[in-house]
Amino acid sequence: MSLSRRDFLGRSTLLGFSSSLPAFLGQTARATPPAARAGARETILVVVQLTGGNDGLNTVIPYADPEYRKLRPTIGIAKPDVKKLSDELGLHPAMAGMADLYEKRQLSVIQAVGYPNPSQSHFRSMDIWQAGSTEEDLSEGWLGRAMKQKAMTGFHLAANGNETAPLALAGAPTRVPSLTSLADFQLRTAAADAADQKRQRQLISAATQATTPTPSPLLNFVRRTAAETYASSERLRELSLKDNSTVVYPNTSFANRLKLAAQLIDAEVGARIVYLSLDGFDTHAGQGGGTGVHANLLQTLSEGIAAFFRDLSARGQAERVCLMTFSEFGRRARENGSAGTDHGSAAPMFLIGPKVRAGIVGQHPSLTHLDAGNLAFTIDFRRIYAAILTDWLGIDSDPIVGNAFAKWSELFVS
Amino acid sequence: MKPDQAWQPYTPSAENPWDLAKVGHLYRRAGFGPTMAELERGLADGPEKTIQRLLTGQPADPDFEAASEFMADERSLPAGSDATQLAAWWLARILHNPHPFREKLALFWHNHFATSLAKVRNARFMLGQYRLLYEHALGDFRQLLKAITTDPAMMIWLDTVTSRKGQPNENYARELMELFSLGIGHYTETDIREAARAFTGYTIRDGVAHFDPKQHDAGEKTVLGQTGRWKAEDIVRICLEQPACPRFIVGKLYRAFVSEAEPPTPEFLEPLAQLYRRCGFNTATVIETIFRSQWFFSPAAYRQRIKSPVEFVVGIVRGLEGRVGTLPLADALAALGQLLFSPPSVKGWDGGPAWLNAQTLLYRQNLALAITSTEDSRFGRRCDPAALLQKHLRNGDAEAIDFFLTLFLQNDLPAESLQKLRDYAVSSRQHRFPKYWTESDIREHRWRTLAYLTLTIPEFQLA
Repeated sequence: MSLSRRDFLGRSTLLGFSSSLPAFLGQTARATPPAARAGARETILVVVQLTGGNDGLNTVIPYADPEYRKLRPTIGIAKPDVKKLSDELGLHPAMAGMADLYEKRQLSVIQAVGYPNPSQSHFRSMDIWQAGSTEEDLSEGWLGRAMKQKAMTGFHLAANGNETAPLALAGAPTRVPSLTSLADFQLRTAAADAADQKRQRQLISAATQATTPTPSPLLNFVRRTAAETYASSERLRELSLKDNSTVVYPNTSFANRLKLAAQLIDAEVGARIVYLSLDGFDTHAGQGGGTGVHANLLQTLSEGIAAFFRDLSARGQAERVCLMTFSEFGRRARENGSAGTDHGSAAPMFLIGPKVRAGIVGQHPSLTHLDAGNLAFTIDFRRIYAAILTDWLGIDSDPIVGNAFAKWSELFVS
Repeated sequence: MKPDQAWQPYTPSAENPWDLAKVGHLYRRAGFGPTMAELERGLADGPEKTIQRLLTGQPADPDFEAASEFMADERSLPAGSDATQLAAWWLARILHNPHPFREKLALFWHNHFATSLAKVRNARFMLGQYRLLYEHALGDFRQLLKAITTDPAMMIWLDTVTSRKGQPNENYARELMELFSLGIGHYTETDIREAARAFTGYTIRDGVAHFDPKQHDAGEKTVLGQTGRWKAEDIVRICLEQPACPRFIVGKLYRAFVSEAEPPTPEFLEPLAQLYRRCGFNTATVIETIFRSQWFFSPAAYRQRIKSPVEFVVGIVRGLEGRVGTLPLADALAALGQLLFSPPSVKGWDGGPAWLNAQTLLYRQNLALAITSTEDSRFGRRCDPAALLQKHLRNGDAEAIDFFLTLFLQNDLPAESLQKLRDYAVSSRQHRFPKYWTESDIREHRWRTLAYLTLTIPEFQLA
């Protein structure tokens, strides 16, 4: 029997919730932050999940290592094409925007990140990364637990309805709303007049507050979700998102969601955690080299992030933001016969933002000492989580990732 | 309830009578929700006859099949069709097939063998896979698993077509074990690498699977403890022989047809797993046992699932006895999170509470409004609740409220929600309507609103 409790309940905890509303509903807008001191406003974490297992070896490329070419005869990136970070390492040629952020000292590469006995199942490994734990039954996320410890507002920006709320955010005291677009985030009615509309909305909301007790966790879940949704939708409707930004974003769903993130950050609704994903990294066949499927994904990632930080700078918000990328695993060191790569393990993470200590953290994994064909990890991802929690969000990481994982120090500048 | 007792047949009694709520429950699980006539007939017929009718379906309708075939013609659905066109075709089948239970099972298998047009990029292959799922939907899972292994859409989806001797691609071998037959924890990484060698040499020629011995790794492989010169069908057989296999599939059937709320213990499912193996993996036999059981008609199963978007919307359209354009419907379902033929990953849709978040809940309510209101022309205005009331000779607000609550909730809702609907019907007479509206315009608008408000009641989200 391999259905876990969480498989049944889905990506949200049904029990043990208070029925309070999302944190930002109760707050007055933070329109008057103590802006006198730089960085005094509360920090924000934007998590970008690369779904499917990003090929780290063709993202941060050890171009000077002759082994690289042997492992990647058809999909390897030619030496002159990489965006050089150092004498050994370079970014994929499609990542000009992120290379530029590295030049500006706003990007750090954390190498060979992973965990012991890595799972090569997409779903299990993604759960491990999102929960920050390798325990058997995972029902809470590392960010959900962080929000339990400290009241923070989170938003999940979904690409479409297919994308469900991530486990990473489960366990938060109130459910993190998923948004696709602000325009669609309202309850419509076919009302005769304004009074009718008000009455209908009241009636629809009231049905979520039924006093009839129910022992059904699913019904309670629906009622609570609905109650929180209607309240959030009212609040965001009232928000005048003054959007004076003229920064142009690439025309991708990913970039549009980063733009929505910038709007939410700038609207001062108290957003501190923003979570979004970019899917398509499961490149088993025909992944391409300098151009092609994987290159397009990295370009979408890099250009979106570059536009996001341009926009945040224009809005005077960049210093508050750290963006983190991760994937459930990297890919097999040696390419397969389909000009693609099978599931692997260790891979790099990126941390990006003006307050990130730029540079390259750790060693590139050896291309000769492989672990069953996979790159071996040297940095446990929970040490990076611990650093982000303590040094960026100001939260004790022990209750979240456990004290076995000391924070990786000096990832941020003060 | 003990496992042996739980799966014993339910018989109506004074304490646990056969009632409308149970008829509605059965119609939601074995199909996509009831019409008023089906509710009334089910109540009169009792459980045995109703279950039998749902399992066998109404007599095949030659006009329906002919129309469906015509719309699946290569000229109507060429290989380059997008997922919305494909989904619209399937939705038309789901809405009009006299055997909705079989479509429900096809949908279950689509979620199990989740394959997406996004990578397959050939609508004909996706259509072929649907036909395979529909053919075996109620039948022998062993045949289905064997057939899906060389199904062209699947072979592209999980890269079998590119896997060659000496250069095996692990994608299909992994998901066969992890998601299609055993579940994580019942195989090793070595099993996957070995099994992958057996799946080399299978390509597509002239639109069907073709075995090329030159590209096949004919060497010995050891998979799950068995050593031999295995080919694809041997690996499938070996997986089917594992005790984990019937347990895994029965666990998924339980979640799809009984409850998403509480995971059952292995002991609880064991009778069903044994039955599945004993009856030769006949899926209908297990589901029939579930539908007849005491457990199925207990609070442990009643309203213990969240409706999928397809269940949500098809339930509304069927209940209203209306017709909708299935292209705009397929499009709307994508926003709700369930574009057929485009599951988010090979694991399928997570389902359960994952269907509902702030955005998708708003989309659901707004879609219910668009279908029931005549002010939104997207769906063709042929699901008019006011027209339905007239057809069923209901008159007046009290009868309208009673009709919609019976149809959609079998009157099982909190008393205060009922009271609020009654209050609304009274107070809404004071609203200012456009001057040119006639008395009947205003009355019908109110009835449509009452239907919409009924659909926004949280209980309606539960299956």
